[in-house]
This record gives sequence, C-alpha cells and structure tokens, in this order.
Amino acid sequence: MMWLSSGFVFRRGTSAYHRLDPRVKLLISVLMFATTLLVRSLYELAAVLAFMIAVAAIATVLRRVAKTMVFTATFSLIIFVVNFVVTRNLETSLLYASRFVAIVVSTSLFFITTSPDELEQVMKTFRLPRDVVFAFVTAVRFIPVMFLDTIQIMDAQKSRGLELEKGNLFRRVRNMIPILIPLVVNSVVRSGELAEAMESRAYGAVPRPTSLVEYRARATDRIVAVAAIVLFAIAAYSFYFVLPARIL
Amino acid sequence: MADILEISGLSFRYPDSPKEAVADFDLSVPEQEIVVLAGPSGCGKSTLLRAVNGLIPHMYTGDYSGKVRVAGSVVKESTMRELAQKVGFLFQNPENQIFMFTVERDIAFGLENLGVQRAEMRRRVDEAMRLLEIEDLALRAPHELSDGQKQRVALAGVLAMNPRLVILDEPTSLLDPKTAAELVGLVERLRKDLGTTFVVVEHRLDLLVKVADRMVVMSEGKKVLEGTPKEVLFGDEAEAYGVSVPSVTRVQKMLAADGVLTTERLLSPGELAQGVEGERP
Amino acid sequence: MHQNGVKALDEVTLSIGSGETVAIVGENGAGKTTLVKHVTGLLKPATGNVLVDGVNTREISTAQLSRKVGVAFQNPDHQLFSESVEEEMSFALRNFGFPPALVEQRVKWGLELFGLEEYRRSSPLVLSGGEKKRLTLACILAWDPEVVILDEPTVGQDSIQKEKLAGTIRMLTSSGKTVVVVSHDIEFLWPMQPRVVVMKAGRVLGDGPAPRLMQDRGLLESARVAQPQLVEFYENLIERPGAPFADPLEARRWVEGRAP
Repeated sequence: MMWLSSGFVFRRGTSAYHRLDPRVKLLISVLMFATTLLVRSLYELAAVLAFMIAVAAIATVLRRVAKTMVFTATFSLIIFVVNFVVTRNLETSLLYASRFVAIVVSTSLFFITTSPDELEQVMKTFRLPRDVVFAFVTAVRFIPVMFLDTIQIMDAQKSRGLELEKGNLFRRVRNMIPILIPLVVNSVVRSGELAEAMESRAYGAVPRPTSLVEYRARATDRIVAVAAIVLFAIAAYSFYFVLPARIL
Repeated sequence: MADILEISGLSFRYPDSPKEAVADFDLSVPEQEIVVLAGPSGCGKSTLLRAVNGLIPHMYTGDYSGKVRVAGSVVKESTMRELAQKVGFLFQNPENQIFMFTVERDIAFGLENLGVQRAEMRRRVDEAMRLLEIEDLALRAPHELSDGQKQRVALAGVLAMNPRLVILDEPTSLLDPKTAAELVGLVERLRKDLGTTFVVVEHRLDLLVKVADRMVVMSEGKKVLEGTPKEVLFGDEAEAYGVSVPSVTRVQKMLAADGVLTTERLLSPGELAQGVEGERP
Repeated sequence: MHQNGVKALDEVTLSIGSGETVAIVGENGAGKTTLVKHVTGLLKPATGNVLVDGVNTREISTAQLSRKVGVAFQNPDHQLFSESVEEEMSFALRNFGFPPALVEQRVKWGLELFGLEEYRRSSPLVLSGGEKKRLTLACILAWDPEVVILDEPTVGQDSIQKEKLAGTIRMLTSSGKTVVVVSHDIEFLWPMQPRVVVMKAGRVLGDGPAPRLMQDRGLLESARVAQPQLVEFYENLIERPGAPFADPLEARRWVEGRAP
C-alpha cells in the first residue's frame, strides 16, 4: 500500500518540472517508457535509469522515486528468477528485471507530478467522452478519502475484537471481509450522494461544458517537448542501431 | 412579496414502499424567510426536500401527486437545468458533494455544467468565495480541509448558481457549537445581503430558532405543526414529535405559564435573565 | 488510565477511575478522538504511557484491549457488514471467544434492550440511521465491557432518540460501568452532571465536576465550548444588580419551584 502511495499518488510540488504542461510531462514519460523498451544491454539501461534519476532530482521527487525503485525491485526479483531459470543467462535476466523497474518509474514520474486536474486536461485533449473523464477525476479525488475510510473501518473492527495482524494466510484474508464490505457499501452510498449532488448542480445540462481554468502551452513547454523528442531520437538511434554493433 | 415556494397537496410514495413518504403536504413560503423544518427521524423531511429541488420526480420515480411550484416554475414540468438555477441544495455530508480536486474548480462545477462563459464564471466564483470568506482556500484540495471549511466550499458552489431558494439539510450536525453558530450567522447575513430564502432541516434547534421566521414540524409524511418558532415550541406537542426544545425555552415557557414573563419572541439565556430581574423569590 | 503524548496530544495526563462518568468536550480538532484512540491502543503514544486496568497499551493488541473497553464510534456505517443483525451482534462475541450458548443469550438480551428484535434476521444495512446507532451500541454492550466510550453519540438524533440514549447511559452508570462520552452536545451532557474534561489543541485545559467547570466562562470561551443554556441563565440571574439570588442553585430552585 505504501509503495502504491509513494509511486503513484500526486502530491503538490513547485519545481519547474511540476509546472510543465501536463501534455509535455506525459510525452516525457512516454518517451522514457519507449526508450526502456529499446535498450539492449545493462549499460544502456543504466544510462536510462540515470537519466530518470536526474529528472526526478530536477522535479524534487527523488526520494519518492528512489522508494518506488526499491519496492519495485523486490517484485522484479520474480521476473529475474523466472528468466534465469528459463534462459540461464544472467545478463538478460538482469536486464529484463531492471527494465521492469525502469518502466514503473517512468509511469510513476508522470502520476506523481501531475494533478488530477491536469490529468483531466490531458484526457480532454484526447477527446475522451465527458462522462469518462468526470468519473476518472472524481475517482481520483476520492482516493485519499477512501484511504481514510479504510483506516476508520479497520479501527472500528479492531475495536470489536478483530485481529488483523495475527493468523495464517487464510485467516488473514477472511478477516479482510469486515473491512471490505463496509468499504464497498460506503462507496456505493457515496456514489448515490454524488449523483444527487451532480443532478442538483445541472450536470449534463449542456453537451459541451465550459471550463474555469485553461491550460495553454508556453514557450518553455514547447522547448522542453522538442528537446525530449530530440533526446529520444538520439537515444533510440544509439541504443538500437549503433551501440550493439560496437559492443558485440 | 410573492411566495417563493408553494407546495399543494404533495404526496409521494417510493416504488418499493407500502407507505407514503410524504402525504398531502401543503406549505407556502414567502420570499426571504428562513424556515426550519423539524421532525423525528424518518418523518419524510428528506423526501420533501428532494421534491422541492426536483430530484423527486426527475431522479427518483414513484407515485407522485400534488404540485410544487418554486420561483414560478412547476417542479414536475421543469428540467433539472432550470431548477438548479432556482433552488440550491446543500447536502448533509460536505465530502460527498465536492467533486473537483481544487476548491475553485468545484465552486465552478455548476456553472461549467450550464455552459457559462469563463469571464462570467470567474466573477461568480470569486464572488461566492468572498461571500463565504474562503478566498484563501481557492487552490486547496478538498481532503485537506476541515468539515466546516468543506461545508463552506459546498455552499459556495451552490450560491454560485444564484438560486432564489437554498435548502440546507442538517448543516450543523458535524460542526462544533461555535462553528455551528458561525454558520447560522452566515445564513442570516446571506438572507439579508442576497435576499435568498432558506429552508433548513435541523435537529439542533437552539441556535436556529433565534433567526428563523417560521417552523414546520413533520411526522410520518404529514405536516403536524406550523407557526413561529415560539408558537411551535411553546405548544405541548413539540416534544412528542421529537423536537428538541431548548432548555432556556422550557424555562421561558414555565415562567410565561406563571404569568411572570410574556413576550412574543424566544429569548436567549441572557435576555431571559434580564426579563426576570426584579422578581422577588 | 494515564496518558502522555505530543503533537496531536500535548502532555496529556489523565486518570479515570472505575465507575466514573466522564465527558470530554472541546472544539473539532482539539484532540478528543485522538485521546479516545489511545485508550484502545489504536494509536500509541510517542512519549508516555497509556495504562488500562494496569496494562500498558503497547503490550497488547487493540482487539484484546477492546474486551474491556468498548468504543462506539461516530459512524455506524464503518462497522456494519453482516448478513443479519444477529450475526452482526455475535461478531464481537465470537472474536472474544464467547461460547455459542452465551453468544445466543447475549444477542437476545441486547436485541431486547434496544428494541431491535423485529430486525433480528434483517440485514443491518437496511436499518435507519438511528437504528444503526442503537445496533452498534447493542453490539458493544453484548460483550459487557467495563468501560464504554461513546464518540459523538447524539449527532443526527432527534430528541426522542436522545432521551433513550440518556436512559441507556444512566443504566450503564448505575450498573457500575465507567462511561466516557465525547460530545459537542453540552445540553445533552449537562443533566448527567459528569466529570468534565475540557480539551483544546491537544491539551487538557480543565478537569473537574460539571457544575464547577461549566460556570467557568473564561475556560469555556477559550476552548470554544458552549455553556449550557441553563447555566448561562442562572449565572446571568446572579449577576444582575437587583438580583435576588446568591448562587445558581438557589436560582434554580426558585425557577423549578414555580413549575406547574
């Protein structure tokens, strides 16, 4: 749970990176993602990871990214083991395992620096239907609320003698039922109340609603976008075409 | 002044229910009044409120008869779009009526839905924030706010739509007494500055009865008592209907019955003491 | 029970004896609920200790502490999950290891006491708000804890429901239970004449019998706690220049003496 929180939950920031147009941030993450898919050796991957760490540092989210990397590494151990058993090749197994970490970090970087409002903006740019965008934004807005609800539910049930820390796996899973049911029920009730509030504020009155806030790309955003594309092109070329020939 | 709300012979029964939630209800509310609606749990208050703002019958279907007219529009025949601009509804739980990730965007929610142009929207959002004294919260995220603050944000969102009538559903239930008093003061101020009519459902009456013009008590879907707060609370039936008569009012009632004190209005503890001054034990 | 902590709670030291009735008051955010959570070990103090009946809350789990301390939280929807009311009531009893025969007996007793027998086989989720609150209290009393803590029990309740609740609290007190009520509703608390603990910003500002504390206007103002209307009235009576009374008790007797 903490891993998910550090890796994907948005928290406000003031760095220049945070202030970039969300579409540019998305572009950067997508390009990073693509680059990881193109690497053929551990040295290249290390270079990409170093670049990601540098960006994280600029965005002042280094600690969170580092945490994410550590947590993801434990999962990627499984990938490593499976690969090694099948291929008996240390280098490629390590490569695949580390690639997983890099992929997660590239996506995480987008989500932790992009607010739900900005996410909404990006979704609108891609012309997703209004209802889908709204459902998404509302869901994200309630994530911290549901988190708090879960804690309160756990508190209440612990106070009725429910032991959440003890017991074998089967017992522990069974003990989640008194937590999950109230959580689900509350969510359903919440949706009902939200629907009432939406209707009462004329949701759906007009097919194309207006917007209080507008995101306009500044010159900086354009420059960064271009720079990112250029960097990607260079990386893609070297990784995919040039370097393997040289190393091999 | 014309009546802003006219309910005539309203009856409503939910589809799965054998009993009517509201039965033959009549009420006329003149403009700019503050009306308190009270009654035991399950008496039909929530249903009545939803029949005023249009959620019944537009969102909830059932057996509907009678008529509700608000600010000139007949609820059954109007769209939610029209009604949303005439009647505002502040729901009980402030959390579940704030959708957006920033306060100012949530206040603009209704206006965005109506397709209001950006400049006008900006003006109305700023005005709503000013009225509720929450300008400094404009860019905050809702989950960072206290319950009282969330409530103000939700109310700002309602007021931004310039409704003539605002419904408040148990607004003080989650607030501590001082914050509750501030809210009541706010309602009074808004009535004076904007000329808005308020219908408030509340169990905690001690604060509200000082500012309310009228009190209506419901039981089992019917209207059972109506009058000025003093008339209703001085009557013998109020308590039987689960209405919490404030302690000071009980004392005032006792003294009035003895002929010690007779006034037209409900007194606060200080005022009551003043009125008793000079009486020998 | 003793306590000591920082941040949300600042150097709080409090002792509650068996059989006492205590009201904890203060504005939202004063730390009342935080304090309650320390009692059952849901929160552990950063510094200091919380001892319940001699046991340090750091040493046993909340589930074990709850056998002695029952907490009725504000929102019943955070608890109810069973298929039927009787199952809901037996949940805690089973967790605490009650034998089946005893479980049945306690469930029956609880349902009768709170007038919920007709709902025995119904789903707890379809009950009304007031009924749910009664159910959660019934669940707690079924396992007969020595201490009962109620967190904001009067929120959203009409006067009839509040009367019943006051009656239940009287019953608990007279059976020797320790009752702690966290509430804003000063009018509800006043007739119980409890020991009052006033909190503000994580500290205890005042601790004493209700009559004394409720007359301390300075204290109540700084903690943003309302004064009971009757107290305010009697105080005003004494202060009047031509006032015929020496103290609130005399004034009260005079007023009540005029009751028809």
